[in-house]
Amino acid sequence: MIPDDAVERLMESAQSIGKSCDAAGLQQWEVFASQGYGHSLDIEAGRISMASGGGDGGFGIRVVEDGRYGYAHLVDINSADRAIQQALNIAKKSPSIKGFELPANQSSSKVGGMKDKAILDLSPEDLLEQGDEVLTRVSELDSRAVAVGGGIGIGAGAGAIVTSSGIEDGGVYTSHGVGIHVSIDEDEHLTSSYEGESSRALLKDLTSCVDKAVHWSQVTREKISGGNTEDCPVLMTTDGFSPLFSVVVPSAIKGERLARGESFWSGKMNELVLADHLSLVDDGLMEGGMSSGSRDGEGVPSRTQTIVDSGRLTGELWSTRDAAKMVAEGKASTAQSTGSASRGGHTSPPMCGCNDLILSSSAKTLSRDRLIEEMDEGYVIHSVMGAHTANPTSGDFSVTTSTILRVEAGEVIGALSQAGFSGNMAKALAGRVVLGDSSKRKGSYSTGSMHVPDVLLMDGMRINPA
Amino acid sequence: MVVATRQNDSNFSSGRLLDEEKITRALNSATSLGAEYAEIRLVSETTNSASLKDGKLERAIPGQEVGVTMRILADGAWGVHSTSDIASIVEQVEPTFRLARAVAARRSPNQTAVGLAEVPIIQDEIHWKSAKDVRDTDLDKRIELMLAIDNEAKDDEKIVSTATGWSDEHIHTELMTSEGMNRVWSFQRSLINGMVTARDGDEVVSYRMRHGGEGGLEVIEACDLGEMGRNARISALRLLSAERAPSGRMPLVADRDLTGVYIHEALGHPCEADLVAAGDSCLEGRLGQTIGSEICTVIDDPTLRGGYGCYPIDDEGVDTRQKNLIVNGVLTEYLNHRETAHRFDLEPNGGARAQDGLHHPLVRMSNTVIQGGSHHDLDELIEDIDFGIYACGSRGGQVDTGRGSFQFAAQEAWIIENGSLSRPVKDVSVSGMTLQILKDVDGLTRDSHLAAPGFCGKGQTVPVGDGGPLMRIREALVG
Repeated sequence: MIPDDAVERLMESAQSIGKSCDAAGLQQWEVFASQGYGHSLDIEAGRISMASGGGDGGFGIRVVEDGRYGYAHLVDINSADRAIQQALNIAKKSPSIKGFELPANQSSSKVGGMKDKAILDLSPEDLLEQGDEVLTRVSELDSRAVAVGGGIGIGAGAGAIVTSSGIEDGGVYTSHGVGIHVSIDEDEHLTSSYEGESSRALLKDLTSCVDKAVHWSQVTREKISGGNTEDCPVLMTTDGFSPLFSVVVPSAIKGERLARGESFWSGKMNELVLADHLSLVDDGLMEGGMSSGSRDGEGVPSRTQTIVDSGRLTGELWSTRDAAKMVAEGKASTAQSTGSASRGGHTSPPMCGCNDLILSSSAKTLSRDRLIEEMDEGYVIHSVMGAHTANPTSGDFSVTTSTILRVEAGEVIGALSQAGFSGNMAKALAGRVVLGDSSKRKGSYSTGSMHVPDVLLMDGMRINPA
Repeated sequence: MVVATRQNDSNFSSGRLLDEEKITRALNSATSLGAEYAEIRLVSETTNSASLKDGKLERAIPGQEVGVTMRILADGAWGVHSTSDIASIVEQVEPTFRLARAVAARRSPNQTAVGLAEVPIIQDEIHWKSAKDVRDTDLDKRIELMLAIDNEAKDDEKIVSTATGWSDEHIHTELMTSEGMNRVWSFQRSLINGMVTARDGDEVVSYRMRHGGEGGLEVIEACDLGEMGRNARISALRLLSAERAPSGRMPLVADRDLTGVYIHEALGHPCEADLVAAGDSCLEGRLGQTIGSEICTVIDDPTLRGGYGCYPIDDEGVDTRQKNLIVNGVLTEYLNHRETAHRFDLEPNGGARAQDGLHHPLVRMSNTVIQGGSHHDLDELIEDIDFGIYACGSRGGQVDTGRGSFQFAAQEAWIIENGSLSRPVKDVSVSGMTLQILKDVDGLTRDSHLAAPGFCGKGQTVPVGDGGPLMRIREALVG
């Protein structure tokens, strides 16, 4: 799927652009190169509707002159001189940030599990067989169930970074993902569930997603009438919690947002911000982590950093430029890169962001059944609609769910057809919280990869049945 | 590999990027292999984005991207190949044909083979010229315009930060098909946006604003940017002291932004015929049925020039036109591409859109608008509401098309009490069921037009416009 010498060829091209930067007399420059390949299939209406493949890539050039920076991207290496000039022209118009320089070369640790040869060896035909397996599983589990949407994909990519300060690094990564949207439409009553999973290694069991999707489509068919609006405990499964968490929390722990007063945790360094048994760790070195790697998006060695330690805010995320800028503006007394620069590909300059973000508890964690018992009375929510409308500045959210179960006397008694669900994520996590006992990665978002278990939120949650 | 070494003949500024002779040979070879249809579509985009933070340039990014996608229909199934290496696409005919046949071989007898509705075969070029070509706009001008927002937005000690952004693109598309279609089209889009963050003690809020549309610099210059920044500041400060919104069922009045998001999410998505075909739309089998209040007429129109969702030709080469989704409450039309038009024996209506040259076309909305009604203004809409919500500005929305449930969130809102706006509230979201709430629309003001531009995600992200008049819903689930 990917040429054996993909990294070398990217590196060679990046070095060639670097030579052009030197020839243009630039003080500092960085060339980022990426190339991706993939195969995928689409599932629609209970069948494989399309198979596709392809690849794309390009180059991003960042130049720094006297603390001013400019950026340009391109796909055609022959237009590099023009892109360099564009980046330089932009740098001249940018504000000078005292102390801002591209990061120096430092040794980095190798992170394992980024590439699985088994994925590279998969053919499009193999992928179609995986599609058959998934579709067969749906009909085996419930003859009423239909896979109305979804797909399976494999990808392989190569990336390289070369800078004037001596950083030269590159690597290959792979990915394998499955998503399945199952619905059961019977007696003019439709229930559905979407489940997905992805990994840097070949997924051993594609059908576990199917099992979950069918399960939630089934259990939400036992409808009960909705009651009144109430403030009550809510158990969010990892699938339901992860999207909301990914919108609200990662932006709150960026150093720049904290320094500028844009985070609900601004001014609270070393204060309790979460329940005192909760910790938050940003891991850039996780083996097989979807957002991990030996270096960040600007070549700084990745690290594992504790952000919240036993409820206390102790860390924050910085890219090189954000750190220099906030110090220069007097908004931070001291700051330096934490290896937290991420980039969405060659079209994007490095920007501060999470790696693999892990929420954990030092208190006793419980199975889902035990969490339901612990809750005694409340709701279980497995998915929400509108997580992206949550407010990352305040932590407030007001979303909708159609995958919600009512719990009374520690047992699930049925499902609501739909309900509004609102609260403040920051305040809820600072209140009474119990975590589930299986923390798994649930989703890669533009804000990083979230590793969160089931979460029982006892305070500040409001359910508004339809 | 690579992208980057095989496009020497590329010319981003003008003329053809595809080698017509080579592409014609490739398309012919696909049909010689047995393909029923083949197409190659190239998109090159010249883009500029920029942003300010607290009035200082944060980043400016010029870019040139190109992508080409080949679709081959064989034995009633699709094979697709996408790449940023233009020259390599012709080498992918046979593998892509084999991929299509492998998909077809898996189709069971009770499953429908893909077919394509017939469309006029056209060879032409259509270029929507902007009054002020956005590629001629220099960075100083972009900064000046963003500062016009920023200067007004930051003017209060409780405003802790401001951010403004700019995005423009010149899009050039070439499409050649085995049927002989050979079309080239181009147009531009421009967008400016901003966000204000206000803080009072531990209370921190933000307010977003956005303006843009199809066209060049003239689109941005037509906007009173100072007023936009000023209004955002006032809204953010008001949110600081706003209380949490009440929850429950109550009358709702939506401003143009929210009316647009509502009609996009609640009706537009379920009208997408690829979702109907997938069994994932609550509007399946309802063409010709009354699904909404008779005051509801909804169109989707990519020819509504200036709208952020405009395009001259769809990504299958079909001429665009206004689609009448609902007329006086009756569902009259789905959004189609050629595949769904064939499937449902309908007329293709130019609804095929791809995110860029690296993606295949899906059925998408363009500019979706609910037409005006008979109420004069907001006062008339709310005069007989004892207790309800007036919600303004969109923070986005989402829909479950199969269930027919949707959600959207407002940036700010007011309580309506005894026929008047009383106090501001925050964190308002609205949810409901498409087939119920369309019937509960019981008031629309006369003036209908597009609201703030938006983006729609459906696996691929495309720019869209939506809007309408102020709209009253008899009863909605709030909070």
